Amino acid sequence: MAHAVISCLHANLAALEAVLADIDQQGIDTITCLGDLVGYGPQPNEVVNLVRERQIPTCQGCWDEDIIEGLNACDCSYPSQLAERRGQLAHQWTADQLSEENRAFLASLPMSLWRDRQLFVHGSPNSQHEYLLPDMDAFAALERVESAGAETLFCGHTHRPYVRELRDGSIRVRVRQTPGEPAGVAEAEDRELRLPLRRIINAGSVGEPRHGNTHATYVIHHEDTNAVEIREVPYDVERTCRAIVDAGLPPIFAWRLRHGFEYAERADDASHVCER
Amino acid sequence: MARWALISGLRGDLEAYEAIQTDLRHTRRVDTLFVLGDVIGPERECNALLERLQQPRRGDLQPHCLYGWWEEQLLAERGYRGGRRADALRLSQGEAAVDALLQAVDPAHMNWLAALQFGFIELDCALLHGSSAAVDDSLGPDSSPLLLLDRLTRMDVNRLFTARSGQQFRLELSGGGIGSQVRDLEGQRQHQQSVPQRQVIGIGAGVHYTIYDPGSDRLDFFIAGTKPKQRARGFA
Repeated sequence: MAHAVISCLHANLAALEAVLADIDQQGIDTITCLGDLVGYGPQPNEVVNLVRERQIPTCQGCWDEDIIEGLNACDCSYPSQLAERRGQLAHQWTADQLSEENRAFLASLPMSLWRDRQLFVHGSPNSQHEYLLPDMDAFAALERVESAGAETLFCGHTHRPYVRELRDGSIRVRVRQTPGEPAGVAEAEDRELRLPLRRIINAGSVGEPRHGNTHATYVIHHEDTNAVEIREVPYDVERTCRAIVDAGLPPIFAWRLRHGFEYAERADDASHVCER
Repeated sequence: MARWALISGLRGDLEAYEAIQTDLRHTRRVDTLFVLGDVIGPERECNALLERLQQPRRGDLQPHCLYGWWEEQLLAERGYRGGRRADALRLSQGEAAVDALLQAVDPAHMNWLAALQFGFIELDCALLHGSSAAVDDSLGPDSSPLLLLDRLTRMDVNRLFTARSGQQFRLELSGGGIGSQVRDLEGQRQHQQSVPQRQVIGIGAGVHYTIYDPGSDRLDFFIAGTKPKQRARGFA
């Protein structure tokens, strides 16, 4: 059975329609969404409506959370004050546009979803704001999957799709203790932990790709073979760009959709987890 | 190079603090004292110890203090943590413990407690009450090495001194590695990563304290008020 995972829709209706059409064309009817339905893009209500109509199981992204909870991230979230002002403007615009019904829908979304030992989150099991980048420390990446009790972790948030396998791991430790002894000579004890094979699958971004191309991205997981396919889907970028400008959102949001590169509002230190 | 003394978990016990100060003054050749939290607790009145920490006596080593789990609970209950209250304490020990903690500390000390930091970074060492993840993160010799490595990696340090478990231990990451294979739209790449040579050190609590010499990496565990069974024990 094949299963599609989408993420980071960012109020881009044209991109979402194209991705759903691509999924439908392959006869896949199981879809999971990893959040960030809104933010940056010009059609927040239309995108939320479509996800609701299709009854796509969805977990809450950082933008979805911020719209509900208020913008309360620390000032780490943006690489510059200009970028922060643009982000705040998009936040306010989205909050003003969103219907009460759709706001309630975003508020109802869970932080994570499970299917057997597959875990679905927006950022990481720790936080919707944590980036699991493809080249992050391998032990730290494995810790995120293992501490959550998952075999495969599906995430988004980075807007760059990838499949990462962590295998053949081990950690040797030497422990010395002196329980109850005043500076007693400690006997060393050596131990070894064998680490299990784990996978992280990042679904990329439907509505705001940052992988160096303008195409929307998502992944298909073939559960019978465990194979993962990273899909790129062309869509009508100009339609979304015109809507961004017409809505009065910062034109740089349209400019970067036309380029597909990471000029987005991402923190300089992607390993930083916002303290809220 | 300076030798450090690391203490924690006094929980209002001025006598224990005085015993440690006496030890340090007479025998240990220490010039920096770090207090890794839990200077307060619900068992006894804590004001005398708090006053001593803020106004050291002549001959005392000047303490450099962090906040620990008990300070976090009191600060939350007194409204210093936004909407949060001492929920963890309430859940684990009940309303009576919350009341006892409130009674144990004069509100006049709250501003000093609120100004305490979460952790110190000294040289390549992190000094924390719990861990880089949270003040209540209890790291011990039986904690998963994967979790310990994660806590070290988050701070990008080679030594993590922790107090939350109350145990004295030294855990060295001594070897191992992991293979990583990443596939994305640019292709596929493989990477082999080794376990870095890092350590997590539990400093003990109450009269159980630790001396660390960052120059030689030597570590010794002591109990205040007792004579060591032999001199120069410990491990470098």
